[in-house]
Amino acid sequence: MSEVCRVAAERRGDVAVLSTDGYINNQGGEEIARQAYAQLESGARALVLNLEKTRIVNSIGISILIEVLEKVMDRKGQLAFCCLTPTIDKTFRIMGLAQYASIYPTEAEAVRAVAAA
Amino acid sequence: MTESPSTPAASRLAGLWKALEEPLAGSDLPLPARLAAAALRCSGARRAAIYLPEKESWVRSAVSGDGGEDELPESLDPEERRTELVLVPLTAEGEVHGQLALEGLPGGDGGGIAPVLGVLLGGLLAAHRYSRQVKEADFEVRTRLVELESLYDLGLSLGGQLEVSALADEVLFRSISLTDAGKGTLVLFHEDGRLLLERSLGEQLLPAELFATWELPEGDAVINNAAASVPTAGVRLASCVKCLAVPISVGGRRLGVLAVADKESRDGSVLDFTPADARLLSLFANQAAAAIETARLHRAAIEKERIERELELAAAIQREILPRSLPEVAGVELAAASLPTRQVGGDYYDLFPLSRGRLGFLVADVSGKGIPAALLVSTVHAAVHLQIDEAKTVVELVERIDRHLRRYAATRKFLTLFFGLIEPSEGRLTYVSAGHNPALLIRGAGRIETLGSTGVPVGMFPDAAWKEVTVALSAGDLLCVFTDGLTEAVNTREEEFGLDRLSAVVAAGLRKPLPEVADRVFADVADFAREMPQYDDQTLLLVRRA
Repeated sequence: MSEVCRVAAERRGDVAVLSTDGYINNQGGEEIARQAYAQLESGARALVLNLEKTRIVNSIGISILIEVLEKVMDRKGQLAFCCLTPTIDKTFRIMGLAQYASIYPTEAEAVRAVAAA
Repeated sequence: MTESPSTPAASRLAGLWKALEEPLAGSDLPLPARLAAAALRCSGARRAAIYLPEKESWVRSAVSGDGGEDELPESLDPEERRTELVLVPLTAEGEVHGQLALEGLPGGDGGGIAPVLGVLLGGLLAAHRYSRQVKEADFEVRTRLVELESLYDLGLSLGGQLEVSALADEVLFRSISLTDAGKGTLVLFHEDGRLLLERSLGEQLLPAELFATWELPEGDAVINNAAASVPTAGVRLASCVKCLAVPISVGGRRLGVLAVADKESRDGSVLDFTPADARLLSLFANQAAAAIETARLHRAAIEKERIERELELAAAIQREILPRSLPEVAGVELAAASLPTRQVGGDYYDLFPLSRGRLGFLVADVSGKGIPAALLVSTVHAAVHLQIDEAKTVVELVERIDRHLRRYAATRKFLTLFFGLIEPSEGRLTYVSAGHNPALLIRGAGRIETLGSTGVPVGMFPDAAWKEVTVALSAGDLLCVFTDGLTEAVNTREEEFGLDRLSAVVAAGLRKPLPEVADRVFADVADFAREMPQYDDQTLLLVRRA
């Protein structure tokens, strides 16, 4: 497994889906933030982060995700996570990410939920 | 007496707040930039800047206003008198949280606004700073909680996870994640030191074969925050700046090595690994060691269980091969027994009532033990039963068995066998002994003769030949055919039971019921060997002419 995290973005109306592949560390977190802010600037109202291909997240990555979450909340937008491994799911809940962002088992459910909100 | 909002003081305060409110509220700008904008608006200064503490000095964080080409200083010393700037300490709770620098204040002091801004903006800055500290402390506490939960979860998942590669991923990923490392490698070894598996995130820290000889101290994690230039426990790691490595061991036996490298920071620099990181990695290594050992023992237990099941099945097949009962043939008394030392043995005996009141009998001892021997016994059994009606003589039967084994036996093994054909009415015994240990013929008068080998073992040589021998049998003559597990049974002094003891026991039973004689033989051998474990099957066939 590579330590380099790749992020792919896909737009569905005003919902942007960012799919990660790899380690969400400083580099991975920065890449997510860069693409997330670009999506927000281009009119996305809600973000879905699909972590299906990510098995590892460190505290730096989490702190960047919190910054992204705060930015989305400042803009009265929505952020949802989906397809988390049980370990990452538990980590996000403990770190407080789940307090302001919802977690869904599938991407379809996450997109549906934030689009309707 | 207090002032009501309609007093001039309240009115001035309301005006001040209104001037502050807009720049402070909302906006994506960081707080220092908003504070500088608010100070500019309230004070009427040409430029305003916020300086925040960083190490030993005050560093400019934000500037607001039109300053032309002259930049305000990047850092400042509050003790230094600067005529062009009014410096206002931003205080709260007796602590200075920042400095407000105002340039070009109207009237030189801004009409006394500067101290008010110092208190108001100081309070906001302090609140922001404390809020950030609380967030950082909360993040730290939650991170520690994740560590504890990870150790707990790892213990649970490792306890139930018996597949070593999944175990390895779990341990490696959690170790890298919780130490904020950028990369890591986990290597596990077989018990004989061969590589079992290697998992890496990022570039492998060391060629897998070098992990086996990496002399990390047992029970200790090694921190090397100069790994780029200094060897780590004697080994130079090429692809990292700082590293932390720990052996995975059980009872001093090295099972593997867990190593992580290059601890990340938010600004992209590589941080030193700390003793807390080392403790955490050691905890993971301990849990991994226990789990990997459990998985290994579990695999061994499953393998043992599988072998035992196979042996039980083979033993059941072999029990079907050995005669369930002895035939009744006029003029002949019989007794037979076989005692395998394992669940399945390599001894075989059989009896074949033939035409004209004749009886064929066979005692065979297959080379090897366990399943391969049992398979060969099964092949011999098939061969004898297929060929016995075809062969016209005893020697022809043995030749046919030999050919059959060469053609069909799955394993290249051989066997010794004694095949006898007794004709009670004629008082005659014809036999072939293919490399078998000598049979005992105890004559009615008590004299003991031995019937030696008449050829090589069956299946040993392609062009083997056997000789058929015929001896006379008188009433009361007792033939004892056996396998060497009886005569070679050893006691604690490493003495063999031997042919003499066997001859004596059998001769003593010359006129006794044969089942009783057989029991006596096995009892004497067991008594002789006592607690010494025996490694060869024991088979006995007694034939007496009535």
